[in-house]
Amino acid sequence: MTIMELHAILPLLTLTGGIVCLMLQVAFFRSHGAALGTTLVVLLLAICASLLVAAGLGNGIPSVQATALLLVDRQALLLCTLLLLAGVAVAILGRSYLRSRAIIPSATDHPEAFYILLLLCLLGACTLACASHFASFFLALELVGLSLYPLLGFPLTGNGFAAQEREPAMESAIKYLLLSALTSALGLFGIALVYGATGALEFAAVAAAIEGPAAASGLMQAGVTLVLAAMAFKLSLVPFHIWTPDVYQGAPTPVTALIATVSKAAAVAILLRLLTLSGLGEETITTSLLTVLAVASILGGNLLALMQDDVKRLLAYSSIAHIGYLAVALLIDGAFGGEAALYYLIAYIVTTLGAFATVSLVADEAVTDVDRHNAAGMDPCAGTYFAGLFWRAPLLGGCFAAMLLSLAGIPLTIGFIGKFYIFAAGIEGELWLVISAVIVGSALGLFYYLRLLLALFRRDHQRAAANGTARQVSLDGQLLLLVLSVTLLALGVFPQPLINWLHALYT
Amino acid sequence: MILALLIVLLAAGGMIAGLCERVRKGSARWLALAILVAASLLLLGEVSAFPASDSGAGWWYELSLPWIPRFGIHFHLAMDGLSFSLLLLTLAMGIFGLLVTWNQVSDRRGFFYANYLWVLAGITGVFTAVDLFLFFFFWEVMLIPMLLLIAIWGYEGRTAAAIKFFIFTQASSLLMLVSIIALVFIHFRTTGEVTFGYQALLSTRIDPETAYWLMLGFFLAFTVKLPSIPFHPWLPDAHTQAPTAGSILLAAVLLKTGAYGLMRFTLPLFPEASQAFAPVAMTLGAISVVYGAVLAFAQSDMKRLVAYSSISHMGFVLLGVYAFNAIAMQGAVVQLFAHGLSTAALFALVGALQHRLHTRDMNRMGGLWEPLPKLSAFVLFFAVASLGLPGLGNFVAEFLVLLGSFGRSAPQAIIAALGMIGAALYALVMVQRSLFGPPSPRQEGSAHVGSPAAGGASAPPVDLSAREWLALLALALALLFIGLRPQPLMDSVAPALEKALADLPPAEAAVSARQSPGLGGGGKP
Repeated sequence: MTIMELHAILPLLTLTGGIVCLMLQVAFFRSHGAALGTTLVVLLLAICASLLVAAGLGNGIPSVQATALLLVDRQALLLCTLLLLAGVAVAILGRSYLRSRAIIPSATDHPEAFYILLLLCLLGACTLACASHFASFFLALELVGLSLYPLLGFPLTGNGFAAQEREPAMESAIKYLLLSALTSALGLFGIALVYGATGALEFAAVAAAIEGPAAASGLMQAGVTLVLAAMAFKLSLVPFHIWTPDVYQGAPTPVTALIATVSKAAAVAILLRLLTLSGLGEETITTSLLTVLAVASILGGNLLALMQDDVKRLLAYSSIAHIGYLAVALLIDGAFGGEAALYYLIAYIVTTLGAFATVSLVADEAVTDVDRHNAAGMDPCAGTYFAGLFWRAPLLGGCFAAMLLSLAGIPLTIGFIGKFYIFAAGIEGELWLVISAVIVGSALGLFYYLRLLLALFRRDHQRAAANGTARQVSLDGQLLLLVLSVTLLALGVFPQPLINWLHALYT
Repeated sequence: MILALLIVLLAAGGMIAGLCERVRKGSARWLALAILVAASLLLLGEVSAFPASDSGAGWWYELSLPWIPRFGIHFHLAMDGLSFSLLLLTLAMGIFGLLVTWNQVSDRRGFFYANYLWVLAGITGVFTAVDLFLFFFFWEVMLIPMLLLIAIWGYEGRTAAAIKFFIFTQASSLLMLVSIIALVFIHFRTTGEVTFGYQALLSTRIDPETAYWLMLGFFLAFTVKLPSIPFHPWLPDAHTQAPTAGSILLAAVLLKTGAYGLMRFTLPLFPEASQAFAPVAMTLGAISVVYGAVLAFAQSDMKRLVAYSSISHMGFVLLGVYAFNAIAMQGAVVQLFAHGLSTAALFALVGALQHRLHTRDMNRMGGLWEPLPKLSAFVLFFAVASLGLPGLGNFVAEFLVLLGSFGRSAPQAIIAALGMIGAALYALVMVQRSLFGPPSPRQEGSAHVGSPAAGGASAPPVDLSAREWLALLALALALLFIGLRPQPLMDSVAPALEKALADLPPAEAAVSARQSPGLGGGGKP
């Protein structure tokens, strides 16, 4: 391993070092604030490292192969930066979440573990973005999964959490654990079959073997199908979506945001790489499977979302549909598909983070206010709790409205540019069936987004006066929402700088 | 530059008006009025200073800035006679809507006037954008404030109506977006240039079958907005549930964007495909005329009646646009203005009635002439305008459309002409039921409603104030002017219409283009 290779994986090394430091720090000095501080510093250092490495690449050296396992190129570094930024947002939300529930500080509460697990999850996700070998692919995928199980069940650790939060969290964690283990096994079996067919585990070597007769063999096709099924589980594409609503609903909302953005973005990153590096993207089996998954997710996700009242479940189904839209871009081979997928991914991350951040902050406020305003014990994630939110908390309501408009793909927001890219990608590939699914899906989606949006503006709701104001929402939470909303609008109105970046990745 | 300034003025003005209301109660509407007047003066001042000599050549003003160079998208605004007259209508109706509902909005006024101005800003963008991406952008953006206007300040069924309105228009415009992008890709494959510019795309060569599909995408988006049968179900609900100012904007301006889109984009971009599709479109238009009239006749809710009459009137527009000759096309444009003025006035009057009587149900009205002579006189005037009385704008418009389309396709013109009988029926029935007859049911009705604001059943409703009276009078005079002297309006839009018809197979366009000046005056009584 040369110095150049070590330098190339600097972001991963920074994260790893940071995790060790944080564990040592927690061993000697127990403090919630200090743990959060260290986490943020580690994340920022890792982001700087990514940018530093990215600046070094490009002049003559498009990518660095660090051992057979990792390939660091600009696309991977961009995705790492994105994942780490999402990590910063989740850390801030996590602080607000843990603070609001730690009403009685006690020795049995261990909020610091949240941040260690968060960093581990990010390490897995970043590694996944850089993986170029089935071994690193599987290890990173498992690292993400393993750190998510305890995070999903985090309310079980301390005694500050109410009973009505513990049980769903338990359900959520167990469900994810069982189903994730099952699909990991399937994926592993698929990798073994691919190895059997091609004799290679490196993506590039698989690509070389595919040129030969191996591509047509049943072994290869079965292997690819199983690997794709494992990825579809992580991306919660229909019909591998069964876990999504329950896990999203039961988990602490910051963790829901994490699983909806970081875990999915990492899966998209590796899928992009798998399809291009290993040459699988041009195989009929892959494209036909992806087409079915995309259409099923778009229609299934949107149809099921129509019936949801719980906001977290609604967002869960809507995220299924959105990954379905994104899969359309994966169907296009060549540079434009990658560009479209990345833009849509960025739009999805910004918007989803913003939506879950609002839900999380509203729920935190409701938990804190339980004595004064929410004595009836109303579920703060129910759609009715959001009625009139714009009038009692203009900032939260306004930001949430912007997020919903972006999810619906209305102009002025980043979601519109993302959808524009999806349409352009579909038209370039002449995938008329998929495009009609996107249109039908978007029209269905409008209905539930609008219903929620108009609920925010409902003026004659009796509870509007009885409900608390935004006083209890922490300043950093408000700031985070504001930053996300500004990003959403700025990239929706002036998308050119980001487009230039993405375009440069492929030229 | 002035066009961008106009949009910025309206958009920023909306925000400022919204914030001002927080500082000082009641300031938002004054500010909104000031901004609208300033915008109108700006537009008129610039245009009158402009040398009219070369107005026939192309755009009067142009502003083009690169926006998203990756896809050849420009922030490209331009104006010609058609855009200018529609802009003028937009701003005038904005001022009118503001004046007649001056005291009707009591709840969250700041946000109301902000949304009001934002709708107008979006519509201004629609009428001036000549980059297809930019056009689509404004096309969508104008809907959001309109959605909020209906959903927050509307009447009893507002949420459902707002959602219906938005889904209809959004879903159809997604089809247009697909058509736009497909058109750009085809242009890219033939020329190697990625652009969303209107002028560049005009010259795209498309094979007939593809062109037909792409044309359908545009056509759907525009006819939903127009609306024509069978894409109209959103309109009666949206119009009825919207607050008065919202109904005025919807009827007077928002529906016009659909007709504008057909004239500006569908016909010039796909001349052959439009030609092939014309029989279907004309049939839809003719059926809309009759259908709207029949349903309007069956309504007891006065606002719903006016809403259905809109479908009938806009059917004439569709018929005229697809008749492919200058006479019918000019008739369609005059219809846009005549319908805008008369329907806006009728919605204002229904709103005024509802504000006074707390009902829109005509079974509870009757005998209004006695307590409300001024208001009733205006209802009568605009009702007969709506049925096409000679001397008023609607007559000229409908006459021209029928004349132009008869030569092209007689059956549709005959069916549409039958619709005018329906117009006479519903307009006169509305007048009969609300203004004349025994007054008793209303008094009982308002006693049952027991609305404290009306001061009980005994207090007679107040007639029009001077402000409302003047605003309505201005509209009546404008309608009379169009009816007696439509030529200036027709002259100003003629170059734009000629461009729309220019690409058609020569035999049809050449005959009709020459006849327009002489026949334009034929509409005069």
